[in-house]
Amino acid sequence: MKTFYSSVVELRQEFVTDIETHPYECGWADEAIFFVEVHAPEPGVRLGLRVQLSPDGIRWHDEGTVIDTGTSTFARVTHFGGFLRLAGAAHRPDGTAAPATISVRLALKG
Amino acid sequence: MPFSPTGYFDPLPRILVADDFDHGMNGWLDLRPNFVAPGFREHSDDIDLIHWGPTMLSSATFAFGGTHGSANGTYSLKISSRAAAAPPDQPPAPGSMGLAIKRLAVPPGVRRLRVEALVAYKVEQDRPGLGVNDLRAFGMFVDLQDGEHRYMPGVRYVNAVEGSPVRRWQYYSPTTATDEEWSYGADGWHKAGIDPQWFGERAADGSTVATTWFDDGEQHLIYNESDDKLNWTPFSLTVDLTRRCYEELRVGGKVLRFPDGAHPTLAPAYDDIQGLLNPVFFVEADTDRRVSLFLDSVLVSAEGELA
Repeated sequence: MKTFYSSVVELRQEFVTDIETHPYECGWADEAIFFVEVHAPEPGVRLGLRVQLSPDGIRWHDEGTVIDTGTSTFARVTHFGGFLRLAGAAHRPDGTAAPATISVRLALKG
Repeated sequence: MPFSPTGYFDPLPRILVADDFDHGMNGWLDLRPNFVAPGFREHSDDIDLIHWGPTMLSSATFAFGGTHGSANGTYSLKISSRAAAAPPDQPPAPGSMGLAIKRLAVPPGVRRLRVEALVAYKVEQDRPGLGVNDLRAFGMFVDLQDGEHRYMPGVRYVNAVEGSPVRRWQYYSPTTATDEEWSYGADGWHKAGIDPQWFGERAADGSTVATTWFDDGEQHLIYNESDDKLNWTPFSLTVDLTRRCYEELRVGGKVLRFPDGAHPTLAPAYDDIQGLLNPVFFVEADTDRRVSLFLDSVLVSAEGELA
C-alpha cells in the first residue's frame, strides 16, 4: 500500500497582502494535489497563486503551476523534491491587492 | 506498524502501539478543535485554536547540512509552529504552537501507562546565528478519562522565555481556577485543568496556574551548536492510572522524580470520551520564528492484565 496523507496546511487563514502558505515537507510523496478554497470572497476578487518548491523550506522557486480562482480549485504537482508551498496574492478587478481568507489542503501520496 | 527496536526504549510489558515514522504518519495528526458549531465553525472561540502549525513527515533536511534523517532511517514526525508568539504571560498567539495527537482507548486491566519517544527540537534556520532561545517550550501530555475524571498528565520543557534560557522541566498540576478563569474569561466548553497546554493564566517566568517546576528539573538538553544539527534524545513518561498520578520522567540521561502522589487537575468527566488515551506532543515558539519538534518514533506501552 502507498502512504497517503492530507494536511490542512492553512485553515480559514486570512492573508492581508501577500500569500505564502506554510512550508510543507513531503519528500516521501510522489504526487501532490493542492486544494484551494476561498472563503466569502469579495465580488470580483481573484486569487493568483504559484506552486513553489524548495531545497530547504526557506529558499523558494516557482515550479510552473499557476492557480487562478475566485472560489475553489485544485492543482496537481509531481517531481517536487522535498518542500512545497503556494505563494501569490488576491487582486480586485482594478488590480489592487485584496485581503483573502483561504483554506489550503495538500493531498500527498507515495 | 513495522518498528526498529533500539536500546533507547524500555517499554512496559504490553506494547499498545509502536510508531516508526519511516512507515507513515501512524495515525498522528494535527490537534484541532471540534468543528460542531453552525457553518462547521469551531466549538469555542476563547482563543484561536485553528491556526497551529501543521504536522508532517520530515527527512530533517537543511540548507547547509543536507538531509539529517532520523535515528533509524530517513523520516521523523515534524511538529511545527508558525512564525508567531505572544509574551509568556499572555495566552498563546494564533499559530504559536504545533501539536500532534494520536487517538486511542485504554484496554481492559491497564494500571500503568508509559509513553516513550526519541525527540529533537530545532528553530528554523532562516537567519544567521544560533536560534536556540527562539524556542519557548516543548512537551507531551496524555488526554485520559476514566469513569469519574478527565485528566491530562504531562510535562513541559521550558527552554527559553523572551529570549533568555530557562532549560527546566515542569509538570501539569492541579489548578484552583474556575472554568471561566481557565478559559481566559469565556465560560464555555472547557473545564478547568483541561488542555493545560494553552489554557490557564500564564506568568512571565514560563509557568502557568497548572504547572509545577520539578525540584531537580534543570536540564541542558542537546540543542547542538547550529540550527541544522539535531541529536535524537530519549523521552519516557510513566503514569499510574489507578491513582491518576505520575510515576517517573526520563529524558536523555536524567531521571526526574515527581513528588509522591503528584497528579494533574482531576476534572469532571466529559460526554462520549470515557476511556480515551490520546498522547499529544507539542512545541511552542518564543519569537516570530518557526520552531519544530521532531519525533523519530513513539512507543506506547502498558502494564496490567485482565482480572
